[in-house]
Formats: sequence, structure tokens, C-alpha cells
Amino acid sequence: MKHPNQEILALHAGGDLGRIARWRTERHLARCADCSEEVARFGQLRQDLPRLADAPELHWSRLAAEMKANIRLGLAAGECVRAEEPAGAGRMWPGARIGVALASAAVLLATSVVLEHPGPAVSRETGVVVQATADGVQVREGGQALGLMHSGAGKEAVTYQVGAQGSVEARYVDTETGYVTVNKVDVE
Amino acid sequence: MSNKLEMAVLALFCASAGVAQDVPIEGRVNINLGKDSPVALVSMSTGDSHSSARGAALVLDLHMSLTLRNTVSSSIHGVALRVVSQEVAVGGKGSVSIPSLNIGPGESFPVRIDMQLMRPTQLTGGPLVDVNLDGVLFADLSCYGPDRLNSCRTLTAWDMEAQRDRAHFKHVLAQAGPNGLRQAMIESISRQSERPQLDVRVTRVNPVTSAAAAAFGPANREKFAFLEFPDSPLQPSRGWTQIAGNEARQPHIEVLNRSAQTIKYVELGWLVSDPGGQQYLAASLPASDPSLYLPAGKTASVEQDTILRFTRRGQPVNIQGAVGFVSRVQFADGKLWVPSRADLAQGPLAKVLPPSAEEQRLDDLYVKRGLDALIQELKKY
Repeated sequence: MKHPNQEILALHAGGDLGRIARWRTERHLARCADCSEEVARFGQLRQDLPRLADAPELHWSRLAAEMKANIRLGLAAGECVRAEEPAGAGRMWPGARIGVALASAAVLLATSVVLEHPGPAVSRETGVVVQATADGVQVREGGQALGLMHSGAGKEAVTYQVGAQGSVEARYVDTETGYVTVNKVDVE
Repeated sequence: MSNKLEMAVLALFCASAGVAQDVPIEGRVNINLGKDSPVALVSMSTGDSHSSARGAALVLDLHMSLTLRNTVSSSIHGVALRVVSQEVAVGGKGSVSIPSLNIGPGESFPVRIDMQLMRPTQLTGGPLVDVNLDGVLFADLSCYGPDRLNSCRTLTAWDMEAQRDRAHFKHVLAQAGPNGLRQAMIESISRQSERPQLDVRVTRVNPVTSAAAAAFGPANREKFAFLEFPDSPLQPSRGWTQIAGNEARQPHIEVLNRSAQTIKYVELGWLVSDPGGQQYLAASLPASDPSLYLPAGKTASVEQDTILRFTRRGQPVNIQGAVGFVSRVQFADGKLWVPSRADLAQGPLAKVLPPSAEEQRLDDLYVKRGLDALIQELKKY
């Protein structure tokens, strides 16, 4: 049985799927307890979100407004300086003002993209961590990670084994090759 | 002039807003099979490998499809590849192994490697990934390879388990016929689907600086109980581990060599229980000393300094109790001992241990191609 991916289940939990996708997902959920449970967890998470919103956080819209105001201030200051310059000094770049505005907007957007996207999970451990993830096994240290994925098998078809010395292996039958494949990551 | 400048700025704007990019893969994957390798690289494809930004990190999804050919006169029963990345300076390594093979001379076989690399900054221009042949196991249990990951021992143990499990199912077929074999396969598949599993995260930390170390003390020490295998060359005598909540650390077990031969490698299995009494396989516990030398009648310690954290569906699971059993022994002459199916059927083991790689393959064969295909497969050996 092919399971919908996490994104589909999350969208279904929020009622955000299209009609056909919703019908297909509901058909699957009627037969799959694991996915139903996953949808219920996403639903619970949505209910918890308002509480999370109460947590202290940065106000992105205010930050963006301040940045825009600073850009406007900069442009206005540029106008003042230019007014005192000899005539003709600004004629070399007739589109410079538009360019500056666009570049500033680009910097603002790029900053927003970087800040709004959640960064890689930072472990509270200081050492090297090995673990199974949703679709593979991974060794991680700080912001770097090396993972071996079992793209050819669903998680329910994978056998995980942990080594207390610092290893995790995932064993599965690869649907493409038909061979048992063992992916393993180790702490060095 | 003005229009060109505006177009250029617009292009810069669009480029900076993009969150995905392509990293050229061609020529950045090194495949090293060795000069006198028993396998040759027939073809390699990097398919739909791509990179993307995740926050400030760069994530590279690398999909490699290799075709290898057996270039020697012996059948190949297993292959192990060591996978490392110079680009990602993480303190670990990976390996991809294919056990339960039966590749005759001149025959080719596919190997798929799906990797994900994550690093906080852009990739540089060097090799992304090195794939090195680490071990090739032949039908007579001889082994080729640099064996930096002890792949020869692992492949040999898997092959011995495969022989054991094929013999079991052939015996069932001979004694109870096709219907008996069908019943045995259904029971095996059912056992796998009902097997309780915990998610385990292993961290190797400096015990002096770890904040987690403060949570542990002598009061958390839990003694091991042991399952006895009559034919095991090793006798676990006593052991303990430290447990606090959903964390366990520093398992320590003392073992006695009760065989007549010197032992150079031991590995134990470790079960834990949740508060409801449900048992789980926590981890395997190999000897930490790579140069272990345990003569007949002598004792040695098996211990690891790592922290294991147990969760289920993202929630911590408090654990208690510790049960150990001998799962693998290698003698000084290179020969291996693995538990029999009778050993593994006792106590809680039948319910909590995963099937061998071969049993997993045979189950899959039965599910996908039916009983006749399974019987034909068993007759090949």
C-alpha cells in the first residue's frame, strides 16, 4: 500500500487539499491506521499553534517596515546631498534611483527569506549524533549532516538496528533492485 | 543604458530570491573499487540529484545508481561500500551493503546509493563523495577488501544467518510441504509487523563536559539480566548500565570465554522495557576494544561510552530493566558463531528481534512473487 507523503497528510489535516486529492486521501485514511494517526497529530499541532503564537518572537512585519523606512530615509538623504551637487553630476546614471530601490528591495527580500525559513535543527548535544530520520539514517554534528536514504522503501518496511558504540543501520528490500540493502552510519 | 541597468538589477533581484539551485554532480563522485577488485564498474548514473536551500543550510540530495560486474570465478554473496564526503566535515561515515547476493561469474548487479548531505555554507569545487569498495564476500566465505569497516566480519555473519534461515525454511518445506512453508512465511511476516520498535538516538559525548552527565549517578545504575544460550562460546557473568528517564548510558558487561578457542570479537544484544512491561531491542553492544584478545577461560569487559535516548512517535519513552544476550562471536582464526534459531526462539527474543536479512528477503519474495517462486529460490541452495 502506497502512503501519502507528510505534506499531503499535513494539508489534509488543515482542510487545504483540493477535492480530488482530498477524496483520494480520505480513501487511504479509511484503510490506514498509521496515516490516520499522523493526520490526527497534525490536527493536534494546528490546535497548539495559537498557544505557540503567544511565545515571544520577532515581529517580522515591524522589522520589514523599519527597514523600508530606513531605505526611504537613505533615499531622501541622497536627494538632499544631490540638491547641493553641481548640475549634471547625477546625469551619468539616470536609472540609479530605481536601481538602488530595487537592490534594497532585493536585499530586504533575501534577508526575509533567510530569516523566515527555519534553519537546520540544532541539537542540544555537543557531540556527534546518529539517528534514524523519516526516510533514512543520519550522522550529524553541528549544522552538518550526512544521511543515507532508503528511498526505495516506506518506513514501515524498514528494519532499524542501533549499535551502542554509535551506529544506526536501516535494512530494507530495495523495490528497484530487489536486493536487501543495509544503509549504516557510524560515529568515527 | 537606463533600461539595461534596470534589467540587470531585476535579474539580480530574481536570483537572490531563488531558493533552489543545481550543483553539477558530474565528475564530483569518486568510485574507487581497487586495482585488483573482484567487481568492475559497468555504469554509473547520478539521476535526478539536486541541491536546495533549507534556511541558511545547503542540502544536496544525491542519487547514484551503479552497475557492478563480478569479474572473478567465484560467486559473490555480499558487497559493502564505504561512503564518505570530504565536503561535509561531520564526525562520521556511512556504508551501503548488499547481503544475501548470489552473483555468478560474469554477472552484473545494481547498487543504489541515495545520500543527503547538509552543510551551512555553499559547496566548494572538490569531490562531493567518495565511494570505496570495503568488502566482497564469496560463496566459500573468503573475503576481499580493505575492510576498514570490518565489512568482512559483518558480511560473513549475515551469510551464516542466511544459511541458517534457508536451512530452516527448507526443513519446514520438507517436513510440512508447501502449506507448512506458507504458514511459516505468514507467521514470519506477522512477527515482523507486530515487532515493537523504539526510535533510538545515539550520542557520543565527552562525559566531563556533558550537561547530561549530571542526570546520572550511582542511584540510576540498573543491573543486566542475561538470556542463556547453551551453545554460546561466551558466558555473560554480570553487567550494568545507567538509566534516567528515557536515557541510558555507559552499558558495561563482563563476559567469560567458555570455549576452547581464543576470541577476538564479541557482540551482545540489549533489551529494555517500558513502564508497561513491553520489551524492545535497544541496541547491539559490541566490544569497544578493537584488539580484543580473549583466551579460553578468561574474562573481558564489553562497554561503550555513549548516551542512548529512546522515543516513540517523537515522545520520550521512559525505560527500565536491562536484558543481555550473546549475539555474535568471532574467534582468533576468523570463524564466527551466531545464535541458532532455537536460541532466538526463547523468552522474549522471538517477539522483539528483527528477522535476518535473508528472512526479510524471503518474506519479500513470498509477498511479491508467491509460494512457487519462494520454493524455487530455496531449491537453488
